[in-house]
Amino acid sequence: MTAYAKFVDVTICTGCRGCMVACKNWNDLPIDTQAYNGTYQSHDKCDGKTWNVLQMKEFETASGGFEWLFRHQACFHCTDAACEKVCPENAITTTDMGNVVIDQEKCVGCSYCVYNCPFEIVALADYVNEDGKIVQRAQKCDMCDSRIHEGLVPACSQTCPLDAIVFGTKEEMRKLAEERLAIAKEKFPNAMIYDPPGVDGTNMFYLLPEGPEAFDLPVNPKVPTSAVIWKDYAQPLGKMALGGTVMAVATAFITNKLFNKGHGHDEEGGDIDESTKE
Amino acid sequence: MFEVSRRQFLKLSGATAATLAIVELGFDPHKAKAAAKELKTARTDVTPTICPYCSVGCGILIHVKDNDVVYSEGDPDHPINQGSLCSKGSSVRDLYTTDRRPKKPMYRAPGSDRWEEKEWDWMLDRIAEKVKETRDSTFVVNEDGIPVNRTEAIASMGGAALENEECYMIQKLMRGLGLTFIEHQARI
Amino acid sequence: MTNHWIDIQYSDAMLVIGGNPAENHPVSMKYVQKARDRGGKLISVDPRFTRTSSKADIYAPMRSGTDIPFISGLIKYAIDNELYHKEYVVNYTNASFIVHDDYKFKDGIFSGYNEDTRNYDRSTWTFKRDEDGNILKDETLKDPRCVWNVMKEHYERYDVDTVCAVTGTPKEDFIKVADAFCSTGTPEKVGTIMYAMGTTQHTVGSQNVRAYGMLQLLLGNVGRAGGGVNAMRGEANVQGSTDMALLFHIMPGYNPAPTQSERHKSLAAYNENETPASGYWSNRPKFMASFFKAHFGDNATPENDFLYDYFPKSRRNNSHIALFEAMYDGDIKGFITWGQNPIVGGPNVRKEKAAMEKLDWFVCMDLFETETATFWTKESGADPSKINTEVFFLPAAGPYEKEGSVSNSGRWMQYRWKAIEPKNDSRSDAWFVHNLARRLKALYASENGPIAAPFKALDWSFGDGDYPDVDLVCREINGYDLTTGKTILNFTQLKDDGTTSSGNWIYSGFYPDAAPGEEKNRSKNRDNVDTGMNNYLNWSYAWPLNRRILYNRASADLEGKPWNSNNEVIWWDNAAGSWVGHDVPDFGAATGPTDPGWKNPFIMRPDGKGELFTNGMTDGPFPEHYEPYESPVPNAFSSVQLNPAARIWTGDYNDKGDAKDFPIIGTTYRLSEHWQTGPMTRNNKWLAELMPYMFVELSEELAAEKGIKEKDKVIVSSARGEIEAYAMITKRFRPYEIQGQKVHHLGMPWHYGYQGIAKGSIANYLTPHIGDANTMIPEYKAFLCNVRRAEG
Repeated sequence: MTAYAKFVDVTICTGCRGCMVACKNWNDLPIDTQAYNGTYQSHDKCDGKTWNVLQMKEFETASGGFEWLFRHQACFHCTDAACEKVCPENAITTTDMGNVVIDQEKCVGCSYCVYNCPFEIVALADYVNEDGKIVQRAQKCDMCDSRIHEGLVPACSQTCPLDAIVFGTKEEMRKLAEERLAIAKEKFPNAMIYDPPGVDGTNMFYLLPEGPEAFDLPVNPKVPTSAVIWKDYAQPLGKMALGGTVMAVATAFITNKLFNKGHGHDEEGGDIDESTKE
Repeated sequence: MFEVSRRQFLKLSGATAATLAIVELGFDPHKAKAAAKELKTARTDVTPTICPYCSVGCGILIHVKDNDVVYSEGDPDHPINQGSLCSKGSSVRDLYTTDRRPKKPMYRAPGSDRWEEKEWDWMLDRIAEKVKETRDSTFVVNEDGIPVNRTEAIASMGGAALENEECYMIQKLMRGLGLTFIEHQARI
Repeated sequence: MTNHWIDIQYSDAMLVIGGNPAENHPVSMKYVQKARDRGGKLISVDPRFTRTSSKADIYAPMRSGTDIPFISGLIKYAIDNELYHKEYVVNYTNASFIVHDDYKFKDGIFSGYNEDTRNYDRSTWTFKRDEDGNILKDETLKDPRCVWNVMKEHYERYDVDTVCAVTGTPKEDFIKVADAFCSTGTPEKVGTIMYAMGTTQHTVGSQNVRAYGMLQLLLGNVGRAGGGVNAMRGEANVQGSTDMALLFHIMPGYNPAPTQSERHKSLAAYNENETPASGYWSNRPKFMASFFKAHFGDNATPENDFLYDYFPKSRRNNSHIALFEAMYDGDIKGFITWGQNPIVGGPNVRKEKAAMEKLDWFVCMDLFETETATFWTKESGADPSKINTEVFFLPAAGPYEKEGSVSNSGRWMQYRWKAIEPKNDSRSDAWFVHNLARRLKALYASENGPIAAPFKALDWSFGDGDYPDVDLVCREINGYDLTTGKTILNFTQLKDDGTTSSGNWIYSGFYPDAAPGEEKNRSKNRDNVDTGMNNYLNWSYAWPLNRRILYNRASADLEGKPWNSNNEVIWWDNAAGSWVGHDVPDFGAATGPTDPGWKNPFIMRPDGKGELFTNGMTDGPFPEHYEPYESPVPNAFSSVQLNPAARIWTGDYNDKGDAKDFPIIGTTYRLSEHWQTGPMTRNNKWLAELMPYMFVELSEELAAEKGIKEKDKVIVSSARGEIEAYAMITKRFRPYEIQGQKVHHLGMPWHYGYQGIAKGSIANYLTPHIGDANTMIPEYKAFLCNVRRAEG
């Protein structure tokens, strides 16, 4: 398997938001107009209806300068994907190209992936199932799975006028990122590549002009310990004993407790400053 | 006429890395065809157009299937945008798929508080009548010994969103009728 | 644009002033970034920090309405520090010309001013000539009355300190800009200026552009790859619609529209008074005769002066503001709009709306029900029962539901093919104008007499189908050799004897030498192989003559060699005896070193030189600073506050704001996610989702002073009206220090209205009816206002 990755250069993004429209256009996603929030940013964060959101950040730099920076946010497609680990239905898989996809027919909407995503990307949203019923299913960016398996780059990447979103093998993207980092350092001395090892690297990764805190990103995101326990130990055992679906219901109490983000599992969810979260 | 090959779609934008990636991915037309059922752009009629918003003049491909626009994307062959588009350019599909466009010509009578739907023939007859009536009652043939052949009672405004040929025809008819109040977005 | 979008990549310094390409021309940033990747510097000069500023290497804040001080400061900086391109200036501009003895400038006023008419007599804005009529020159630039020295003296007052006190730019930022941009005044480097409506929408808008042109001439940046003065046009075809003369003052191809005057009383008088002895416009009579042959067809003959008399002659200013003033005065009874929405986009909307309420009839052709289409509804604030206008709404076909060409900012004429049948029962504008013409032709068919005659003489030969034949329209625009029936090769073949036609001479050449039925429309060209220096000569067609970089003779030095080998456009090939290279020469291809015009790259000018000093403007041979119509500060450069040649409109709704009541400078602008007055974006679900609400951007300091908190609703008021919007408190706006005084600045998008998915207040309720002295473009960009929290 060759891992492919989407490399996002935040230092050159001009904030046109072509990526957001191309995503909704290609994926036929619904409209989700949010309340006025006092800035240009349209949505607080990614969710099941809006798979990529341009974060628009204004801040003053240590040297007294002023920056207005734009970060394309979407699923990170973690190499060690917590969502995949916790899914009791095996609805979430990593494809041969390294992108993480959710099978809407298998998903039962249990939300474990939602609670365990270190980046708060995946969320439930309406899905019309085979019976024509509207049900809640976990949804997120699938890296335009159908496109990349046809030799096309993801819609967001194709539409990016600046080539700030580039798609290719992870190896080539890493190389490109290093080249761009060297250039970006001139204008942004704190520039860095964000490809966190705690999730074994991601297949959507950044060149950031400032440290991850500036973008409300966890400094060192990890796959939650509970998810590791669940996927690698509890679930195989449970499945052996009870069978998948029953098992999922039976263990819901335990897992909900384990994965409950409301109790400040900083170590698991990464170093997100609670005060910056909505 | 134009030619847009499937191969060209796959060339994508010009970043070195992106180009490399495609080389790496390779292109197998047989495979693409076999798996094409997955792609919403498979078996569409594709027509190139130019973005109707700003003046950069980006190329856009319109994908039509079953008499509907199923996708719009940057034209990878276009030397300016090379397959890319901004938010507005990416959104042109909705100009067709929206349900917000009026269904019929509409007429509002003097003093009325609503529209009435009308047929084009009715509208054309009535508008032609109004144009002629206003023109004929205000037309000045000569003034101060100079042939001026104009009416100042009709004004025409607009055209920057239209095509060259349309603009040419509009100015031709309006000047043909003797209008001097001819303006459009370039002034503002 | 003198150059084109892709060419920006060759620039060493990109001065973006009065424009915001990252938001309004986003794909252009691809080439800005390419230039940056090659080491080019992006400079953003703007009253607020924009998405373009966010990518800039240097950002300099500048109070809205002070472009002339800013650029004049750069002109002086380049002169004082000898950063200009001397060889270029001496040889390719009129720097050496000796100015008329009676030319004067004193305290803000140039010679020839008439206070009563607010007009200049420009007869002293000229050059001294010898007995044979040749202009006197001093190529050593020592003569105190040569343009160079007169110019130096004029800009002596624009020193860095005074400039910064007026513009509010921190001095260190100004110096950074000056060093970076003026560094291009050498053969090795080249810089571009990119501007848009932030430049033109001022009472000194045209002189703002001229200041850019002068700076570029001084730095030797015009005609070169990566250089030029580049207007970033705001609409897909605002270039083409202007070329096609949907403006009162011009005919297609920029011939002046005839007026009711002695100068234009006959074709002979027009040709006599509008045709210079030299320069390309000396061909004007050929363009005129060929135009009338297209307009009136066989009815136009040399014997009847090509029916020039039948062509309408204007007797007054018919520009946008004047049009609505005339409508308000009851002069205009019928009104037709084609995809234009003045109730959102026009200045002083309260007046323009009141004007529309007086119409007898109104025809609105548009994709969506706009604010203008519904000016009579309750939602618009009107009482429908009191409005007696008959309104016709015609649903228009969308851009890919019809076919034809559009001309981008780089003058590339590109074809749009039809992808799908028009939605619902909509029709193209071409269909409507065609069928209206046919209806009117039928109505007039049986009439005779002087009123019917001019219209009956109009030729309308666009086929017999329900839709007009676009191909026939294209051929007519290009023109014909009427002796052979083939389309004409290009405008160099046009004649004044009635044997040729051309609906628009500057486009002549896009459909060359085609027999009937033979398809040769070059706007359909789609060969995307780079023909050299990214000019893509086989992609689309650029007027004139497929030329991509205007004035490109100036890209080469006095020997005809490119100033810089990295930056070649065209060059003289001695062996071949012609100009060759990567572009179509904007010059006589065979004009060689021994020919008289060899050093005259600006072939549209009678003397072939770039004009540092001009006779062509209504308000002065040099740009001079005047404050906006509404300004919180006195003019620091003279005692003349407002452009003395700007027309002031009085009467109803034309109140002028005072800084006592309205101390804040307001400005308007656009957003990436919306377009113009919004019908095509506020009705678009994806774009409405991205920018759903009308807002006003203001600084943290102003918000604190006014007790405004994040997300509050606020009221912005001006002398014309007030509007409600959300407050957006941001560091991207900062207070200015102007002449020692703190001045606040705020801004807002002008896209919103009460129709569509995304709705909001119409910003143009605030703006005044005052325009530029030359173009009459309204001053949207700087007006006085106040802001307060909305109650409740």
